[in-house]
Amino acid sequence: MEHAATLAGARAGSAASAATVPFFTQAAGFAAAWPRIEANLNAVIEGGKYSHGPLVAEFEATLAEYTGAAHVVGVNSGTDALVLLLRAAGLRPGEEVVVPAFSFVATASSVALAHGRPVFVDIDPVTYAIDPAAVPEAITERTRMIMPVHLFCQLADLSGIAEVAQRYALTVVEDSAEAIGMHWDGTHAGLQGAGGVLSFFPTKTLGAIGDAGAVITNDPKVGEIAAALRHHGRFGRTLDHFPGISNETVLPGFNSKMDDFQAAVLLAKLATLDADIARRAVLAAAYTERLTDCPGVRRLPTVVKREVETDAVFYVYLIEVERRDELVAHLAANGVGTETYYPVPLHRQPCFAELGHRVGEFPNAEAACAHAVALPLYPDLTEGQVDRVCELIKGFYR
Amino acid sequence: MSGPSLPFFPPDLFDDERELLLDTVRRVGLAEEQKFILGERTARFEAALRERLGAADVVACGSGTSALMLILRAMEIGPGDEVVVPAFGCAPLAASVVNVGATPVFADVHPWTMVVEPYEVEESITSRTAAIMPAHMFSVMADMPTMRALADRHEVRLIEDSAVAQGAVLDGIPAGRWGEAGVFSFVQVKTFGSIGEGGAVVTDDAEIAERVRMLRNHGQDGKQRFVHHVIGFNSRFDEVMAEFQSHRLTGLATRLERRAQIADYYTERFQPLVERGIQPPPPGRDGRCFYVYSLLADRRDELKRHLAERGVGTHVYYPTPLPAQPAFAEYAASDRFWPHAELACARILALPIYPHLTDAQVETIADAVCAFPGGPR
Repeated sequence: MEHAATLAGARAGSAASAATVPFFTQAAGFAAAWPRIEANLNAVIEGGKYSHGPLVAEFEATLAEYTGAAHVVGVNSGTDALVLLLRAAGLRPGEEVVVPAFSFVATASSVALAHGRPVFVDIDPVTYAIDPAAVPEAITERTRMIMPVHLFCQLADLSGIAEVAQRYALTVVEDSAEAIGMHWDGTHAGLQGAGGVLSFFPTKTLGAIGDAGAVITNDPKVGEIAAALRHHGRFGRTLDHFPGISNETVLPGFNSKMDDFQAAVLLAKLATLDADIARRAVLAAAYTERLTDCPGVRRLPTVVKREVETDAVFYVYLIEVERRDELVAHLAANGVGTETYYPVPLHRQPCFAELGHRVGEFPNAEAACAHAVALPLYPDLTEGQVDRVCELIKGFYR
Repeated sequence: MSGPSLPFFPPDLFDDERELLLDTVRRVGLAEEQKFILGERTARFEAALRERLGAADVVACGSGTSALMLILRAMEIGPGDEVVVPAFGCAPLAASVVNVGATPVFADVHPWTMVVEPYEVEESITSRTAAIMPAHMFSVMADMPTMRALADRHEVRLIEDSAVAQGAVLDGIPAGRWGEAGVFSFVQVKTFGSIGEGGAVVTDDAEIAERVRMLRNHGQDGKQRFVHHVIGFNSRFDEVMAEFQSHRLTGLATRLERRAQIADYYTERFQPLVERGIQPPPPGRDGRCFYVYSLLADRRDELKRHLAERGVGTHVYYPTPLPAQPAFAEYAASDRFWPHAELACARILALPIYPHLTDAQVETIADAVCAFPGGPR
């Protein structure tokens, strides 16, 4: 009974407080999903294996069905998934991987952690993803792979990337960490080339309440190697199988096992994922309607029409504005959270300083870093809160 | 097929913590701050461990394995560097070194205690050696005073793989604090096991601590988001785990004492079996922590079968020495041999020792072992 009161309170609290708009909350959705989460957690306790256990196995199977991937490998984070994917897809030390200059750092740090070298190219200013036309000048005799990133609400130009990859004999691996639910001509994100990843960081479209991720692939070899690498390089049965901890170590691997309590939460949320995605689309449309032609707003998200069927999933509603940092401060002062994805392009990050890139090398990436800001967008958000955010933005530029 | 009635890996580890687990997940999921990773709960958990150990800093991270990688990277150990590791032990001992681009050099272990032999470590040190990384094994801490002396004499760094030894104390100094940095692991089977994967770096060196804090979260400094000073990992700690572990910390000493009592009893019962080819670990409490109770048995596979027939689950940690595993074969010097590691792999058998075993169950297990006829191989 006490539980019920808390849960009702979480729902009411979130709906009532239109004045404060956090950048992210999932409390109401979590409360609604609690009966399923609780049942799944009880199954974890019954199973008695708290990581890499039966709930992780069930989550992998359910996610395979959802994405259509032949192999789903649950791991500790989207970043780990990228490192495992790169190694499983055959990246060798010193080989180069073409990545966009605008992304979360893991896009490039994963390449370095897999002992490869990231090579940056500029992005398309509308999709924020790799511009295929910019790829040829980045190619050297060491280039082995290309890693498009699907940011915010849509896929990179996967036809253009497939074409350039074929021309230079590059393996395509997708940083599809943000792209659950997105499809290109009927194929789920991450499954065009050697494989892709998913991140279940809490703010993601499908979010855990901690770190979790997955490698997804249709290539059995990539799936098998990634599965071994997450469990200390051990092949054979390890999932939901304690004695597997003494299987022979065939590859120098990692510990990147997924927690079963995270799988329990993810399974519960997966049941409403399509409804959550639809809700995000409604909220995104509400933002677009209110912010169209707003002074100071340079760019609203535009889903590019492709020659094949694609679908947008609004993980992030990202706009470009004048005086971005001032707007962020203004919104914060009025109780509205935002996130700056991303303030510094990858080629100007201190950790890649030794690559020797200069300001001005990738102008589209740099422009995005100067102007982009993400507005609150999650299924718990109300349209009243969208109104509030948009009124504050309009007020700021008035 | 049903498993043994006394399984080696207990499936009911947290059955008594059901409410705690459910409450913790619910509380964190609904909490006002909606902060799920590296939040206040993690900070409080780190502080509690710090206080317990008297260490300058404890940095919670994704796992014991990644704790080792974080330390290696914090010490800037990488390509061209050698790290001396035991030839017998868990894969991360060597994999962590390989994964930062350095070279593991394998040193043989003591035939009884199975911890690395100091003279083997010293013989393995070359001009390229950056660090030595002894590991505590099963119930025995490595000879840390000698390791520290070796590190000082040869001016190499000392990393303590204390993943299995949380709670052990040697000569008044807790496991984890003998090295420049040590690690803990919270995977469920460990003495301070939890409901998921997690680990920690323990250090008195402020520079190592600061670098590990950056490295565990993508090279960010904790002040400015999305500015990455070094190439880091995602090796963070979940708030659910932090809260659960903070609750469990109060009972840790009791659970460790229970493990030690079971071990005392086993060792007393098994002492007479030495002449029948079954060797228990050394008696005593100093420098000991009973994560795993491991016998050395001449006819190990027969003993394993014998115990299985009597409903007692066992486990073989580890069937193959590290230099003989395919992942590390290229680092196994062709002119070196690790006979004690091989012997341990052939003879070791671990018995159940989890703290919720009843006295009667402990007796049943000891009786079953003592009923093994033994004899020469």
